Amino acid sequence: MGNELVSDSQPHRGGGSKGFAALSYTEMFYTHLPYYLAIGMPYDLYWNGDCRLTECYRRAEEIKQRQRNQDLWLQGMYIYEALCDVSPILQAFAKKGTKPTPYSSEPYAITAKQVQEKREKQEQLRFEKTKAKMAAWAAKTNAQIAVRAGKEVDGG
Amino acid sequence: MAKTITFNFEGTDYTLEYTRATVATLEKQGFNISEISEKPLTTLPALFAGAFLAHHRFVKRDVIDRIYDKMTNKMDLVMRLAEMYNEPIEALVDEPEESEGNLTWGTSW
Repeated sequence: MGNELVSDSQPHRGGGSKGFAALSYTEMFYTHLPYYLAIGMPYDLYWNGDCRLTECYRRAEEIKQRQRNQDLWLQGMYIYEALCDVSPILQAFAKKGTKPTPYSSEPYAITAKQVQEKREKQEQLRFEKTKAKMAAWAAKTNAQIAVRAGKEVDGG
Repeated sequence: MAKTITFNFEGTDYTLEYTRATVATLEKQGFNISEISEKPLTTLPALFAGAFLAHHRFVKRDVIDRIYDKMTNKMDLVMRLAEMYNEPIEALVDEPEESEGNLTWGTSW
């Protein structure tokens, strides 16, 4: 049912031409005109432009509907995530001091490029963390060695 | 791109094409494509002349008739014109998909 809500509002599909047989071409053009006006085809283009353009407008409308469906789905995902994140503090018997899970710091990666960028960013972050840890460990070790060396000099 | 017929006549380039507006104009003038087999002598020149309306609206009828008379391979021309005439209506309707349980068909020639 869900996909029916957003998919097929166009009145013309082949095979369902019952009743059209008695119509003249002009009447058919007027029958379909409101649909094409609704999906953004200019009146003049419909009548005087390349007659094949109607197909492009139909395809474009399909793409637009798919995108809109994707946007709505994504919005639903964000709302769902927000509810999940905040749910710990909504529980009636939640422990004192319970905090909500932090909401995503950035939007979902949708395109392949975004996914790749996100992965690279995470790897870079992990690398920086490890590097910082190693640097801290090295500094600490160097300090210990220096202290030990100082003691040896004092003692010797 | 819509189907077109192009040719040169007496130094002028012509492009024949039907738009929805020109098809509607033809019908307003009493043209009926279904009469093509019953009244070919009047219908075919009218169909040919109608194809001038989109790009050469002001070409006189006697010039169009002269062009029509000089056209070779008339049977093929008529078939092509009929195809072009139907194009504005075909472009409004999606072909039913084969997977929807619709019929597929073949020809013997």
